[in-house]
Amino acid sequence: MSAPAGAVVLRAEGISKAWSTPVLDRVSLDLRGGEVHVLMGSNGAGKSTLAAILGGLVPADAGQMTLGPIPHAPRSRAAAEAAGVVMVLQEMNLFPGMSLAENLFLDRLPSRFGLVDRATLHRRAVVALERVGLGELDPRMPLARLGVGKRQLVEIARALDRRCRVLILDEPTAALSARESDLLFDHIRRLVSEGVSVVYVTHRLDELPRIASRVSVLRDGRFVAEHLGGNVAPGRLIEEMSGRASPQGSAAASAPAGDVVLAVAGLERGARVRKVSLEVRSGEVVGLAGLVGAGRTELLRTIFGADPASAGSVRVGDGRAGLLRSPRQAVAAGIGMLPEDRRHDGLLLGQSMRVNALLLPGQPRARSGWIDRPAERRAAEAIRTGMEVDCTSIEQPVGQLSGGNQQKVVLGRWLAAGCRVLLCDEPTRGVDAAAKGTIHRLLREFVNRGGGVLLASGELAELRAICDRVLVMAGGRIVAEFERGWSDEAVTAAAFESAVPTSVEKAGHSS
Amino acid sequence: MRHARSAGWLGLTTVIVSLVFALGQGGCSRPAGPGNTSGGKADGRPRIALVMKSLANEFFATMADGAKAHQATAGNRYELITNGMRSETDVSEQVTLIEQMVARGVAAIVIAPADSKAIVPALKRAADAGVLVINIDNRLDPEVLAEAGLKAPFVGPDNREGARRAGEAVAKQLDAGDEVAIIEGIVTAFNGQQRALGLEDAATAAGLRIVARQSGQWEMEKANGIAAAMLSEHPALAAILCANDSMALGAAAAIEASGRRVLLSGFDNVPAVAPLLADGRLAVTVDQHGDRLAVEGIETALAILAGAAAPEDRTTPVDLVTGKP
Amino acid sequence: MNRTRLGEWGVLVFVWLGLVALFGTLADHFLSATTLTTVASRLPALAVVAAGMTLVIIAGGIDLSVGSVMALSGAVLGVAIVQWGWPLAAAIPVAILTGALAGLGTGLVTVGLGIPSFLVTLGSLEICRGLTYAVCDSRTLFIGAAIRPLAQPMPILGIPPTVPVALAVVVAAQAILSRTVFGRHLVAIGASEPAVRLAGIDTSTPRVAVFVLSGALAGLAAVFASARLGSADPNAGAGLELAAIAAVVIGGTSLSGGSGSVVGSLLGVLVIATLEAGLAQLGASEPLKRIVTGGAIIAAVAADALRRRWEGERG
Repeated sequence: MSAPAGAVVLRAEGISKAWSTPVLDRVSLDLRGGEVHVLMGSNGAGKSTLAAILGGLVPADAGQMTLGPIPHAPRSRAAAEAAGVVMVLQEMNLFPGMSLAENLFLDRLPSRFGLVDRATLHRRAVVALERVGLGELDPRMPLARLGVGKRQLVEIARALDRRCRVLILDEPTAALSARESDLLFDHIRRLVSEGVSVVYVTHRLDELPRIASRVSVLRDGRFVAEHLGGNVAPGRLIEEMSGRASPQGSAAASAPAGDVVLAVAGLERGARVRKVSLEVRSGEVVGLAGLVGAGRTELLRTIFGADPASAGSVRVGDGRAGLLRSPRQAVAAGIGMLPEDRRHDGLLLGQSMRVNALLLPGQPRARSGWIDRPAERRAAEAIRTGMEVDCTSIEQPVGQLSGGNQQKVVLGRWLAAGCRVLLCDEPTRGVDAAAKGTIHRLLREFVNRGGGVLLASGELAELRAICDRVLVMAGGRIVAEFERGWSDEAVTAAAFESAVPTSVEKAGHSS
Repeated sequence: MRHARSAGWLGLTTVIVSLVFALGQGGCSRPAGPGNTSGGKADGRPRIALVMKSLANEFFATMADGAKAHQATAGNRYELITNGMRSETDVSEQVTLIEQMVARGVAAIVIAPADSKAIVPALKRAADAGVLVINIDNRLDPEVLAEAGLKAPFVGPDNREGARRAGEAVAKQLDAGDEVAIIEGIVTAFNGQQRALGLEDAATAAGLRIVARQSGQWEMEKANGIAAAMLSEHPALAAILCANDSMALGAAAAIEASGRRVLLSGFDNVPAVAPLLADGRLAVTVDQHGDRLAVEGIETALAILAGAAAPEDRTTPVDLVTGKP
Repeated sequence: MNRTRLGEWGVLVFVWLGLVALFGTLADHFLSATTLTTVASRLPALAVVAAGMTLVIIAGGIDLSVGSVMALSGAVLGVAIVQWGWPLAAAIPVAILTGALAGLGTGLVTVGLGIPSFLVTLGSLEICRGLTYAVCDSRTLFIGAAIRPLAQPMPILGIPPTVPVALAVVVAAQAILSRTVFGRHLVAIGASEPAVRLAGIDTSTPRVAVFVLSGALAGLAAVFASARLGSADPNAGAGLELAAIAAVVIGGTSLSGGSGSVVGSLLGVLVIATLEAGLAQLGASEPLKRIVTGGAIIAAVAADALRRRWEGERG
């Protein structure tokens, strides 16, 4: 299992792959024993495709791979796993209706006399879950009860439990909170010390110093540069990834805050949201920080009327204070929302960019029920240009667009609707660095025109980059507020300190 | 998720409840006597179950009405439970009905079997439980009956003879060598087979050529499509002989659409064919007196129960009903 | 998008022509005006039911009750004409309204209680059949001359007037689907109901409306079917839902919702009707008919899947 440190474990040479257009062009990669080799690149650079080829998910069109002395040409994910190369997918590959234990061991359920041996199964599941810090969860609980972040951890636990020589992680922290990411990094370091080699795909610059032994940069399917160690100047990496000088200081200084555009008073929803009051002023981006399970998503959904509130009131601008009973009322009142699970709740993946960009109540481009097609096309083109959406045409299905471009489509929809308040839930999750900068700039422009934004994010760097104020949530409450100039330690401490004393409610503790 | 699951259960419960209601409607026409289930007699009167095929088929609806009228006018000599199924061909549903009737302690079951063979084991179990079985309408297969060791007197018309006479009536208006087509019923049912044989007998005897023969599954819609196809495939077709009136109605519409003059025969004499008989679009149909059929069966059962008659077969009369020439 | 659509339709037209050629060779008089009339008169009822079914399926639901609703509407039509002596022009709207009301009930329960339409329509299938037997006392109603004009082939064209009406319905349904906000919302709801709701769009009204539409079209189908048979049959439409679903699937509509076309379903109906007429003319036995029809459904769906894969590979 352990290779001598430094020897090449997995070598890929001249790998090429084309779908309709070339995605990888003669890329070579060495993976040494006990290293974390980071693959960086913006979306479309080919890093995920390369990882998928290594993990046996897709075959390469050209090139060879060797695993130690033997050729590595897995025909499937299972074949790669049998050879000791295990890949954790970015798209989650789990079954919500099954228990955690079943999800972890689905392809190798322990059995006795043909029946599933539940005792063994659950014992092993607890061990596997402990490895990712979820040891306190009941392995019999259905996966559906977990949020996106914890599901990702389960997926990682599933991979870690396999005896592997090479572990491939494709943007594993995209859905994780800071604390969960820390835990994951600890495990990666431990595995590496045991001799496992890791291929780590990411576009988050802040993770490099913490984890990388080597960084390879890809751009447009080609190998661009390699750096030893994780301390690479961010500016240089951005330049290498984008092929142009990095846009520094994208978050411009904020305009002075104006009138209150969103006032939430005493909002409650069961144990998830408890007596939350807050205000967002025009010209302001207000951040929501907190651990996974702190209630950020639930708060945003409750304000928006997507989940029913049990008490409280919401007021938009000079409107009437009251509860919004449905997203329809919220939108009519001038609120828009970028949901956490953009692929499921925000977009119709099989439909065109045009359809998605104009998915609005009443379809503004319609005449007495009939769609005015030329007007619709013009409106979609306007959003495509204004939001800098990178697509082949407005008829391209959004499922084919990168995460950043998908988010720009949703954002463009709300700006076209003329809303005053935007609720953003993890707006740049799974979005590459360049698109992230664009989205932040568009949000800033929106508030500068008089709008207000309430933005939940598990990434402190994002909150720092864009927010004028940050509210910290724990156990469904707002427990602290910070003005610009806060430190990571202060915010993290606030999130934890408030979470621990209320650990009577399991949510606060186990998250 | 949890919400969705409970909604699923709610849905399932709703369906089950509605199904129970649907069955309940077709169930007993008369409440059971108070607290008395012994020996198949309520208030000393024998309890008789009439088990039919689909009550949606008006032949059986007529039969049920006849039986109820008889029960009411016969001075409450017996207690009647009428049962029908939801579909013509669901054998397992009829088996369930038989079992339920045995459980309710009836003295006799008067049954129009959905299938000539498959229903026999269930009837045998009923007979073993001491229930008298009277077979009406569709005759149970004699070989299977013998094998099962079940004696079930058959009270009903001779389907083959009825069909033969209908075919004969049509043949009289044709010349030897003319082309005819047969639309038969469900091929697994004994009465369907008998009627097809009878039609065939008549055609062969008159020297007619049978150029097409398909099953219309007893259904109007199916028979309509088949008749239309027969008409276009056989331009010289002179007559279509159908094994029941529902199928004859479907065929009549097809003939009308083709604009041709083709003779047509049916079987059962349901009220809906009256206008067709009146203007001659239907040449002939057979009345086997469905309303009397169940009554004859019940009378036979009562006589045997009272020890006044031996358990043997009885043939009931069939009559031809001819249309305007 | 449009290219894909035309490709889909092209495959179906090809399959249909193949069937016509096949039966033309095998049966003596298949290629005749009578056959055209036969297929054309079988078409209208199934086509309008399939049109409604297409919209329901695209919106992510399914309507298993169409056959029973058609029988119920037919029974109401028959009773209105035969027993109450109403003129046809008054009875037809009542039949359609009956279907629409049945659909409204289904839609309200489905959306209001959040029960999958599969289960609700399984229930309404039973309820409507029961109501049918109650309305016509389980008896076939012979309507006769009153409804004959609808079934009589028109001069020159040789097809009954129900055919152009059905085609107009199909064209209208396709236009609603691809050109109106309502249609757009149906597709969107079928693709992802949560996404549509979170976009601030009312999803309840279109979801109920699509069942009302499906019911009303089943009512219209009852008029067509009664016209063809000259009578109202309480057992009409048994298994119609499966034929309609088969036509919809053959027509390229995704059973999971979010994409499809009404014109495709019409071509699916054409394939099924041709197959039925052809097999009947060949005098095929009942077992063979069922095997061939089932095989044809699988073949058509497989052809569609292969075409998609092929186009996917080409990008």
